[in-house]
Amino acid sequence: MRGFIEFVVRFKNYITLITLVVMSLSLMSIGNLSKLGGFRAVIVGSIGWIQSVFAWIPNPVALKAENTALRELNLQLAVEAARSRQATLENTTLRSMLRLPALTDHRLIAADVIGKTTTQQRNYATINKGQADGIREGMSVISDAGLVGIVIGASEHYAILQLLINRDTRVSAKVQRTRVDGILQWEGENTLVLKNVPRTLDVQDGDRILTSNYSPRYPANIVIGTVRQSSDEPNTLFRRIVVAPAVNFSTLEQVFVVDAKVDQERSVLERAVDERLTNRTAP
Amino acid sequence: MAMNFDLRSSEYVTNPVIRYIGYGVIAMMLSVIHVVFLRFLEVSSVTPDLLLIFTVWIALVEGQFTGMIAGFLCGLLFDFVSTDVIGTNALAKTMAGFIAGYFHRPGFIKETIGSARFMMIVAVSGFVHNLIYNFFFLRPMQVSFLMFFAQYGVASTLYSTVAAIFPMLYVARKKD
Repeated sequence: MRGFIEFVVRFKNYITLITLVVMSLSLMSIGNLSKLGGFRAVIVGSIGWIQSVFAWIPNPVALKAENTALRELNLQLAVEAARSRQATLENTTLRSMLRLPALTDHRLIAADVIGKTTTQQRNYATINKGQADGIREGMSVISDAGLVGIVIGASEHYAILQLLINRDTRVSAKVQRTRVDGILQWEGENTLVLKNVPRTLDVQDGDRILTSNYSPRYPANIVIGTVRQSSDEPNTLFRRIVVAPAVNFSTLEQVFVVDAKVDQERSVLERAVDERLTNRTAP
Repeated sequence: MAMNFDLRSSEYVTNPVIRYIGYGVIAMMLSVIHVVFLRFLEVSSVTPDLLLIFTVWIALVEGQFTGMIAGFLCGLLFDFVSTDVIGTNALAKTMAGFIAGYFHRPGFIKETIGSARFMMIVAVSGFVHNLIYNFFFLRPMQVSFLMFFAQYGVASTLYSTVAAIFPMLYVARKKD
């Protein structure tokens, strides 16, 4: 016993190190905060409150970038407005001709971004609307430019968004022009990559990328970005499609949470089939 | 509660309980400052890691054992506050505390923190910290670890090292 105590005292630093490493790895295996239940709401609420208190402090660098972005946007909108007026007229005529049902618009909940963690690759944002405003986990978030991300946690008056430029992002997306599907992932900085697109399919620089109809999480046909570079991946049968997000995350201030609920019946069916297939293929 | 940071061990808050409570309060303040205010110091998405510098400080003042535990708790706190995967920062900062603890020299604490040696220790600990953090961070992504680490990990280490100049100058001034 004495020898054991001497051993522990002698190597206490190494024993402590191993214990703490094991504890850290165990905590990592639990996963993200969403598995901690109500505790997350307390953290979201507290941090959100502190961020809202200091949200009035301007960030000169971000303001300058926003100013430039707004000028560019203004120019684009002026051109778009003229085109849109023409397109609306054509659309009305064509709809009446084809008797297509009008597209259903989801309810949008406007919110201000009161805090952002875009540093050291932790890309989250806090908004000043929460469960009291009808915001629930899993809702999509958009801005006037396009898809922003998804709600991953909400307290009574605040919610945390996982931005599109996040390592956990997986969006089922399609190319607007050719309807080619793929999975969109973040690859660091401001770069998204559309994966699983075979070389034979037609994707070109400048093509617009939208959310796909296949995604149970994101509403279809929301703008994600444009193809910046499309090339063949060496030693594979796929293309490497680099996408520039439509949203400028560094100047993000106002967003809209899309009140589109996940189709439970579809989710349950897909999960059940997935489990059945997994069990069938398991040894 | 008056915290005296002139590091003369006999005067430096002799009651360990009060001292550790002080560390806890400072850690909480630093984590909130990091999340709420450090966006103003952001350079290409990189900010200095205040809790890393604080962990190194504790390891140099209290020793390797306390440094590791302080690193673990600081990391855990930051994981909660920054909505990160819990345990990632805890592991990285535990290792940072472990490494910084090797430089603990009882009786020469002022000399260590109040000199460029402190910045060097922050750089070494920060490098290992960011190496571990980025390794676990990049696991779910199909991104080149070396490219990502060279861009963010090294930049973050350098920024933290530069930020460490402030506590170093503070202690150096007190020393003189």
